Amino acid sequence: MRDARSVSGLRRVFGDLLLAGVVVAVMAVAPSVYSNQLLLFNFVMFLTLSQGLNVIYGFTGYLPFGYVGFFGAGAYGFALAVMHLHAPPLAAMAVGAAAALVLAVILTPLFRLSGAYFAIANLAAAQAVYEIVSNPALEDITKGPYGVSLSGVFAPETSYAVSVAILAGTLLLVVWLRNSRFGLSLRAIKEDPISAAMAGVAVVRGRTIAWLCSALIAGLVGGAFAWQISVFYPETAFSAQFSIFAVVFTLFGGAATLTGPLLGVFILYGIYNTIGITVPQYFQLIYGTLIVALVLFLPNGLVSLLTKRGIRVP
Amino acid sequence: MLRRTLLSFAAMLSFAVQAQAQQAPAEIKIGHLHASSGPFASISMPVYTGLKIWVDETNAAGGAYVKAFDKKIPLKLISYDDQSSTATAATLYNQLITQDKVDILVADSDSVLTSVAVPIAKEHKQFLFNPTGTGAAFFIDNPWIALIADPVSTIWPKYAADYLNDEGAKAGIKTVAILYSTNDFTGTQASAVRGFIKAAGKLDIVYDQGVPTNTSNYTVLINNIAAKNPDAVLHLGYVGNDIAFLRNLQDSGQKFRFLFSIYPGIETEELLKNVGPEGMAGVFTYVTSAAYEYKPEVGWTLEQFRTAWNKANTGLNFGFNSIAGYTTGLVLQETLKGTKSLDQTALRDAVFALSGKLKTLDGPFVLDEHGGQIGEITPLGQFTAEGKEVKLDVVYPPSLANGKGVIGK
Repeated sequence: MRDARSVSGLRRVFGDLLLAGVVVAVMAVAPSVYSNQLLLFNFVMFLTLSQGLNVIYGFTGYLPFGYVGFFGAGAYGFALAVMHLHAPPLAAMAVGAAAALVLAVILTPLFRLSGAYFAIANLAAAQAVYEIVSNPALEDITKGPYGVSLSGVFAPETSYAVSVAILAGTLLLVVWLRNSRFGLSLRAIKEDPISAAMAGVAVVRGRTIAWLCSALIAGLVGGAFAWQISVFYPETAFSAQFSIFAVVFTLFGGAATLTGPLLGVFILYGIYNTIGITVPQYFQLIYGTLIVALVLFLPNGLVSLLTKRGIRVP
Repeated sequence: MLRRTLLSFAAMLSFAVQAQAQQAPAEIKIGHLHASSGPFASISMPVYTGLKIWVDETNAAGGAYVKAFDKKIPLKLISYDDQSSTATAATLYNQLITQDKVDILVADSDSVLTSVAVPIAKEHKQFLFNPTGTGAAFFIDNPWIALIADPVSTIWPKYAADYLNDEGAKAGIKTVAILYSTNDFTGTQASAVRGFIKAAGKLDIVYDQGVPTNTSNYTVLINNIAAKNPDAVLHLGYVGNDIAFLRNLQDSGQKFRFLFSIYPGIETEELLKNVGPEGMAGVFTYVTSAAYEYKPEVGWTLEQFRTAWNKANTGLNFGFNSIAGYTTGLVLQETLKGTKSLDQTALRDAVFALSGKLKTLDGPFVLDEHGGQIGEITPLGQFTAEGKEVKLDVVYPPSLANGKGVIGK
């Protein structure tokens, strides 16, 4: 019986890893068949961001509306390291990741809140970081509202490769969370933190680790974004669009799964890049209708079409 | 014999290859972005529409003449809507270069939406025709860009500052307040005007404040300025900033002896509609080609273009940005007329060859060695109300003046 369970567990892990491997492989070879590499980078970026959001929202139930704060911190951490320390890009990526982690630690007290209060407080925190970065008085440090130019390190191919590596690491983390005791404890926290604590789950430690992992992912993606795009303004790096897209893609596909956010990005971002660009006036309508329909009829995302029938989705 | 045959064959082959190389394309693809919504729409849409009017007019005449093929070739304008989003714009610039493979790349308006095009165009060695993006960083160590229809930011406030230092000082102006929106366009102008005033040493800057570009309420800021009791106030902002500032100023009842604002002279119709003639009366502003008639050697005159604009029924107000779009088209037209091929290096050489030799309704086209536009100038003007309309006179420099500036008591 125990052996059967262990075989079934291994199968589950193998299925998850296979899916993650296929996605990473597809994104790794995509530039050789499609030359708009920046569009592919955006796909990789949103695939990673939505999985990063999945780590905190899907597994613990805390929805950070201001997720872009970590992304922006990563982008500006990268930029400051390049501008002031003349750091090589990979070292600058580490600085970007560290900046996001520091911000996450500072914002840890937000966990005293929950639900909509947590989401809104997090949004306000991201806005505060944006205001600090874009403050004209800090022009000598952050370039204020006038934006940064990192043309000296501009390397689209390398930064794309690094972003695919970050995606691979993030997918592996989600696979681990889905199949590990720690991931199970996080889901217990999501269901009922009090019961989880009474059952011996370290609630504070568990969600803090998930929070830091989630912030780290956004910080790394922000660093890769800064490297890829090389010229940007505070409103670019802290654009609410990043948070909104990551949240919508995750909810659309289905949180707490590997497949859900992937589906969300491929379908919705795919639509965004076809209808949204050719006929933007219809795009808002179609996008809005899709999301309203989803919330009304499939609140647990597309994957719930299968999970409701007892089919396991990676 | 065999050698002669081979040589003739080689010569024929070389001729055939050359003929192939010179084969004219069926159309010339012009890639462009515009923003139909968002904060940059008010600048972007007139530029796009002006460019489109030029494309339609050129195609109606059989296309643009291209020297390399000695014939007219129809133009195809591919313009995507970036909705004022830099992330979307970056993807779309890539789309234009890598998928649509456009022959000519024209950036969206404004520095923010141009900024993302700069590294992409540079990476792909695609020459970027930049209509109005004045960000100074774009031109550093970048041979793949030229500013077409807007002077560089440091040129804009020169005459306004000179007037204050000269006529203003004579009229007893001693103190100046500078309020500016913190973006590339107006932030750089604020730095330039600060520099001009400090260099002359005749006036004191008693208030110098940058505010976010999305500022829409100036009531407190106006009171703060009034508390410093400056003789002259310079407000440097975008269209929306100027509308809000001038409305709030009217409501506050505050008066300053000298008041300067950018957009009344650039988008006069828009400002008139939103602020009214009484809110614009006495305001000093830039006199752009929308109000000053330059004698064009190429393309329409100001009145001819205004007629074409009204006929096109665009639903947009006519202003300087409309002219910037049309001027961009004229520069493309002359570039194609002079280029040796559609190769990007040849296009770049052809654009720089136009420098100092082209005069449009936007004034002389002159590029510095970095691709910055230095031919166009922005004289200082002042509005007077005439019933429900306003009149803009050039008051400085004296060589261009058609009126005398009135500084308040």
